[in-house]
Amino acid sequence: MELNDIVRRCEDLYHDLDLTSVKEWKRRTGGKAVGFLPIYVPRETVHAAGALPVGIMGAGDDLEIIRGDAFYQSYICHIPRSTVELGLSGRLDCLDGFLFPAICDVIRNLSGMWKILFPDKYVRYLDVPQNFDERLGGVFYRQELAALFQDLCALTGRPASDEALRRSIEAYNENRRAIAELYRLRAEEPHRVPTYEHYLLMRASNVLEVTEHTALVDAYLAAARRENRPWRDNIRVILTGVFCEQPPLGLIRALEQSGCSIVDDDWVLGARYLREPVAAEGDPLDALVTSYLRRGTPTATRYIDEDAKGEDLIRRVRTLRAEGVIFASPSFCDPALLEAPMLQRALGAEKIPYTAFKFSENSGQLQVIKEQTGAFADSIKLWGAA
Amino acid sequence: MIHTLGIDVGSSAIKAVAMKLDDQGGGGTLAASHVNKIRKRSVKDVVLQVVERVLQEGGLSREDITYIATTGEGEMVDFRNGHFYSMTSHARGALFLSSSVRAVMDVGALHARVMLMDSRSKVLDHRMTSQCASGSGQFLENISRYLGVAVEDIGRLSLEADKPEMVSSICAVLSETDVINMVSRGVSTPNILKGIHLSIGKRLINLLRMVKAEGDVLVTGGLAQDAGLLAVLQSLALELGLKVRIAAHPQSVLAGAIGAALWGGYRYTKLKMKEAEV
Repeated sequence: MELNDIVRRCEDLYHDLDLTSVKEWKRRTGGKAVGFLPIYVPRETVHAAGALPVGIMGAGDDLEIIRGDAFYQSYICHIPRSTVELGLSGRLDCLDGFLFPAICDVIRNLSGMWKILFPDKYVRYLDVPQNFDERLGGVFYRQELAALFQDLCALTGRPASDEALRRSIEAYNENRRAIAELYRLRAEEPHRVPTYEHYLLMRASNVLEVTEHTALVDAYLAAARRENRPWRDNIRVILTGVFCEQPPLGLIRALEQSGCSIVDDDWVLGARYLREPVAAEGDPLDALVTSYLRRGTPTATRYIDEDAKGEDLIRRVRTLRAEGVIFASPSFCDPALLEAPMLQRALGAEKIPYTAFKFSENSGQLQVIKEQTGAFADSIKLWGAA
Repeated sequence: MIHTLGIDVGSSAIKAVAMKLDDQGGGGTLAASHVNKIRKRSVKDVVLQVVERVLQEGGLSREDITYIATTGEGEMVDFRNGHFYSMTSHARGALFLSSSVRAVMDVGALHARVMLMDSRSKVLDHRMTSQCASGSGQFLENISRYLGVAVEDIGRLSLEADKPEMVSSICAVLSETDVINMVSRGVSTPNILKGIHLSIGKRLINLLRMVKAEGDVLVTGGLAQDAGLLAVLQSLALELGLKVRIAAHPQSVLAGAIGAALWGGYRYTKLKMKEAEV
């Protein structure tokens, strides 16, 4: 598959708010589809139940919000508005269920609204532990996962089988391997993997069946290595804060155009939330629990020691030879905005340059952000150590 | 000796230069330059034409160029090596054209801004026009077309004014209405043009005051060639008692491209040194 064909396919999937690809999958397989919101849900459970996990990350700047605004105050972020709009306009009708993982109060409330708005659909608020002791949080989380898996199997009519779960874990491990390779190639040779393409490829993981997505990433990697793209004198930056509401495509392009090569990010974080493969032997639910407790990404919704998050960011800056950090926070996103000062303090102590701005998924005025990141890139290139 | 290319993609014209630098990326002489208006053509095509012309004039080939740097809207030039922000490039270009400069007034087709800088051309502060019609260059060009005046004649005619009439400084649409009224009232073309210069000039001088500029100020961008605007800026600065000397350079329009090319040379040698260290 040629590079342009892969990118075009990903673009089509990104803009397909009607979830045509999901409907096609359902027609082809006769299976059910279960939606989920950011950041992390154990997609293995959905997959093992025979359903297609479908990540919904709002509607970007592709949809005018008409009814969604009536559900939220003006000081609430944008993703729940566009999600409601997608739901009420019938675009998510092909989803037989919807999972709302614990991320913030807004999303928790959205799960309640969803139950009222769509009473005939399976809706579950997935509570995740904030106690990382296996005897406490671990036991709780295992019960949550077991109940979730039972529910999903009841929805699809499949038996709740450990063997099916193990096979799904293996499939997702393979996907994590491909995604890790994608991130590695971009960090080593950013000019080979433009941020725009990288992002679209990650977004495709939301709607494609996992093995299909793995094959697509592998095909992209092979094509990107073949492609002769000019080297770019950009600064290497880590982008953080985009774990839930996503920046519009124009903003993602603008960051790179302004002279920043993104070498790590937290967009579509659910696809690589577990940093290592999950054990495919033994009790599969235990394996998922252990991975969540021990190998989850230190992000805003994980209430761990604040120093640990700063240390993790600094370690990534050093390992990836990043020259700066960009904090891109969705407007009114409490998790991102409350996290940023703690991370900035850690960076400041290490004299690592950073810049911060806010966006919304439908931001149209990008010039100011472009000027800010452009000036940031120049300050590092011309007056910094880069 | 190395050669670098600087391409400044503006909203109405493409400016490109080839610079000859020493092996350390220092020194710097202008080897070739070319400016071409976009005039509703494909920007990419005009960029390619301008670049080819510069290479030809400089007796260079693409292979002789060690670093291709863009500025302005040059992010869409896919054969670039690096891109520099407009303020950074204009400051560096201004310093190249006049070593005593400590502030730059960049007046382009769609925007105007003032930058305060140090002796290394590091930007210390800046202000941009924020209102509609801040794009004074394009506005002036539109008005000259309505008046049947060639763009090159605007400055000369403005200098002939004896009783200028001010136009609205808020909005391009209102200003255009002002001009139509003036024409119907029989106000002479020089007086209309000087009125526009005064309107633009007051806002630019205000930007200079806001950054607390002192000493030599270089006007860059397309309007640097407008003698009428320059005269207005100088007289307004004098009236307001600002401690500045405002001037333009014959190559002011190339400041962005020159700055980008010089920064490109700097980056090339810096990266080479880093590579050697590794």
